[in-house]
Amino acid sequence: MGVGELLLIATPGAPALLGALWPVSRMRKILVAAAPWAALPALALAILPGAEGATVSASTLFTGLHLTLDTTGRAFLVLTALLWVLAGAFARSYHATDPRRGAFFGFFVLTMAGNMGVVLAGDILSFYLFFAVMTFAAYGLVAHRRDGEARRAGRVYIVMAILGEVALLAGVLALGWAGAGVPEFGSATVEAWSALHEAGWASGAAALLVLGFGVKAGVVPLHLWLPLAHPVAPTAASALLSGVMIEAGVLAWVRFLPSELALPAVGTGLALVGVVSIFYGVAAGLAQDDPKTVLAYSSVSQMGYLAMGTGALLRTEGWATAGLLAVILFALHHGVAKGALFLAVGVADRTPPSPRSRWQHLVPAVAALPALALAGAPLTTGAMAKTTLKSGLRELAPAWYAPLDPVLLGASVGTTLLMARFLIRLRVRMTDRSRHHPNGSGDARADRRQAFAGLLAPWLILVALGVAGPVWLSGVVPSGVDAALPGPWDGAGEAAWPVMAGVLVAGVVWRRPDFLGRIGRLRVPPGDLLIPLEFLAGRLRRLPWGVLEEGRGGGIVRAIHRGQVWVHARAARAAEWDLGMARGTVIGFLLAGLAVALAVALASP
Amino acid sequence: MIEALGPAVVGWSELPLLVVLSSLVPGVIIMFLAEEQVRLRNSLNLLGAVLKVVLVGLMLLGVPLGAEYEWTLQVLPGFELSLVGDSLALLFVTLSAVLWLVTTVYAIGYLEDSPNRTRFFAFFSLCVTAATGLAMAGDLFTFVIFYEALTWTTYPLVVHRGTEKAVRAGRVYLIYTFTAGAFLILGAVSLHVVAGTVEFVSGGVVDPTAVATAPVRYTVVFLLLLAGFSVKAAFFPVHGWLPVAMVAPAPVSALLHAVAVVKAGAFGVIRLLHSVFGIEVAAELGMAQLVVGLAVFTIIYGSLRALGQDDLKRLLAFSTVSQLAYIALGVALMAPAAHVGGIVHLVHQGIMKITLFFCAGLLSETLEVKKVSQMAGVARRMPLTMLAFTIAALGMIGLPPVAGFLSKWYLGTGALAAGAPWVVAVLLASSLLNAAYFLPIVRTAWFDERDSEWIDRGRGPGGLEADWRLVLPALVTAAMALGAGLLGGLDLSPLGWARLIVQQGGL
Repeated sequence: MGVGELLLIATPGAPALLGALWPVSRMRKILVAAAPWAALPALALAILPGAEGATVSASTLFTGLHLTLDTTGRAFLVLTALLWVLAGAFARSYHATDPRRGAFFGFFVLTMAGNMGVVLAGDILSFYLFFAVMTFAAYGLVAHRRDGEARRAGRVYIVMAILGEVALLAGVLALGWAGAGVPEFGSATVEAWSALHEAGWASGAAALLVLGFGVKAGVVPLHLWLPLAHPVAPTAASALLSGVMIEAGVLAWVRFLPSELALPAVGTGLALVGVVSIFYGVAAGLAQDDPKTVLAYSSVSQMGYLAMGTGALLRTEGWATAGLLAVILFALHHGVAKGALFLAVGVADRTPPSPRSRWQHLVPAVAALPALALAGAPLTTGAMAKTTLKSGLRELAPAWYAPLDPVLLGASVGTTLLMARFLIRLRVRMTDRSRHHPNGSGDARADRRQAFAGLLAPWLILVALGVAGPVWLSGVVPSGVDAALPGPWDGAGEAAWPVMAGVLVAGVVWRRPDFLGRIGRLRVPPGDLLIPLEFLAGRLRRLPWGVLEEGRGGGIVRAIHRGQVWVHARAARAAEWDLGMARGTVIGFLLAGLAVALAVALASP
Repeated sequence: MIEALGPAVVGWSELPLLVVLSSLVPGVIIMFLAEEQVRLRNSLNLLGAVLKVVLVGLMLLGVPLGAEYEWTLQVLPGFELSLVGDSLALLFVTLSAVLWLVTTVYAIGYLEDSPNRTRFFAFFSLCVTAATGLAMAGDLFTFVIFYEALTWTTYPLVVHRGTEKAVRAGRVYLIYTFTAGAFLILGAVSLHVVAGTVEFVSGGVVDPTAVATAPVRYTVVFLLLLAGFSVKAAFFPVHGWLPVAMVAPAPVSALLHAVAVVKAGAFGVIRLLHSVFGIEVAAELGMAQLVVGLAVFTIIYGSLRALGQDDLKRLLAFSTVSQLAYIALGVALMAPAAHVGGIVHLVHQGIMKITLFFCAGLLSETLEVKKVSQMAGVARRMPLTMLAFTIAALGMIGLPPVAGFLSKWYLGTGALAAGAPWVVAVLLASSLLNAAYFLPIVRTAWFDERDSEWIDRGRGPGGLEADWRLVLPALVTAAMALGAGLLGGLDLSPLGWARLIVQQGGL
């Protein structure tokens, strides 16, 4: 077993082991101290040269646990490890005085173990296991604040997560049946898909998997939980939810969906959903006040691009490397940028308070860098990702490309506006804050400055990594196909003007903080379509469910209940037992047994 | 050393008898002890429980080496008492023996300083004797004897508290089970008349050609036997006794729901489908489909009823109704994977449900918390209890890596292989319903602030949240539920054993 294999085990193993310390109260100190750094083995594995191809399997664990590092996994591991390490460092300072930091870091390491496992899982059930661990542990991060808002967000999160889990379990079961066991990713999954195809179930199973993982990816209309849960979680967790875990949904699509089958119906459906998401996220996001909610809707919109790309892949037989490359590159770019943006809100919330602080200009100015990347400005990772996605689309679905191209340009303008909206609301949040707390409490100031430095450092590192992205990302995406990667200047002109248009509009209204604050006169509450659904659920709860209870309903159930009541009433007249009778019975049985034994002994010759 | 022990125990044919005696003898002795002889009583109990686990362990070593444990005693000409330790029997015996040991520790702690403990522990031992006896029964005659014995040894446990409610529950229990017992005896006698034998044989003892010539007769026999088993297996509509019987003390509920009683019914259904009729013959008669239909309806019905309960133990009882039907569902489908899922759920449901009942007992003993609505914030006072509860509840929903997922995986892929994808829909719906009634409990216990009055009986020694004899069993069974899932690939895990049974044609 080499270093690669050991790190492969440690990547999900280290956080899982820390999580196992959680129930032991004496060990909780160790958990809190070590949790922020639990992702370091993952980072080491991500940058270890020659680690690709490392495989570990343990047939005695679960249904046979397989961990492996392939090129796609390597790319996602770089993002996952980076964000978990930086978010961990951030959380260490952010939660330094949080009385519930034990619980936070407990859920933090469990979610991390799940997330790391998802990236490295080598077969469908290992993936399903880690995915479930990640999903359910993340509930604790979403509901960390324990107030009404967090409770509602948590409820919506968990209900949708379970619905997603059920849909994907149905798909996974179909794969397991077709693969006669637990297929590993790769050729075994391909065979399982062709068996499903012969049975006529390939499209159905793929649709279930698209839906099930789509909840995590947050595409419309499965996004309902996202604008509630991402903002309400503590900042470090928001960054992880929107930067890494959301991408795990996309990784799941890439891993599970058939690469050798053309499924035009499912592919077209997913691509359409993607295009709708792109615009829906921008429109609903522009109507938000909380900068974190703006970012959450931006995630919905950005995941639309990925859904569109994956949909295009699904339509074709034998996934084109350019398309797969585009999806991976886009996921990496979005993760780094969105993580940096969310951390910016946390930094803004903890700036040392003073009325005319330079931070009020500095923080939005630095946050503008990842915002520009997300908008797709030239020389950023965003421009790279969007150019690659477009060329992938041109190759995969030439018929779509012509009508889509102008639409996507419009979307770029929209994204720029959304980012402007975010920066404006971020600044408003900071001014409001300094107005309400002009001078913090004096004595704790030195501590607070130190803690602030602990927030600033991981954030700045992430921003810098994002800015330098065009240089290092090409080393991370699957090797052998990087010929298809564009250089920083490719398509710069094309990328520049929608961003400029957006910046221009934003510049005009910069001084009016409620700019685009509503669509017409309509306010969009976070969670948008969820509101009518919650109303319906409330109504549903008030239906007379009592009919099930005690046979108050009609028909057979009632008749049977009546029968039961009758039997139970008759039972009241049955005889009573007590110890004496019981002893008597036992003696009786013993005597009877003895008699039988005697009789048998006498009867036998 | 353990490897060396295996060959030595291969030929030890009295082992099944010794396993039965290991609880029968202590039980009978305890019955004649005085109430104050606490130490002797507890020692006898624990000695028997440990001895039983050891003896079962010896058999577990022997069976993979090809040992066939069989002990017979001719009672009357043509009728013999026959105890067989084959792989399927051992699955149930191991479950009973291990959970009995854990439950004994729990019961000693739970009933400390309460009256009538002599009666309780005597019948407690006899009850497990009956369960292990019927698990190893080699023919229907032996099975029926132990099955009936199980009924009357459980009754004093159900009415143990002596309250009016308990006595009423006991009567309900007797009426249901004795009526079913009558059907069972009638069925056994008619089987003897119709088929000429009552022996259990893997793959079925009845002659398929004889069935083809007289299908009506065999159908009647099947229905009589099914009626006999369905009460203890808690099929709708004869599940009514189970939610009523939850008035019994927590260790008894554990015994009813996990170790012995409902398992006896489910095990009877397995024997009926696989050792008496054979699944092909049962399917030809349309009876396997009937069992699938009954099971599916019961799964959904039990979960729907559980959804509306506030009383924790009552909720758990309806959950048992639902979960137990998984077993019958699995063994009634025509696919080996489904058989594995059904058989292994016998164990998985047992360890998960016993954990839940242990926790319910802990909450009611320590804090007088008996209702879901009182459980807000309870995890802050009793974190270990709620940790165990959470693990078991997640397993009930079927989330990996807890054992319940493995059952669901095999049942689901088996249903697809048997050409019944609609069963998968039922399983998933049941998962959703399980989540709907378990997750809110888990959430409110961990995430909410306490909002009701508890009557705190204080902590155990060393600042432990309650008496260690109650906490430890819950943690042990929760660890088993987790371990059975995490180590599912081991040959000696419940799943590995269930696969061995199906591979060997041991059904």
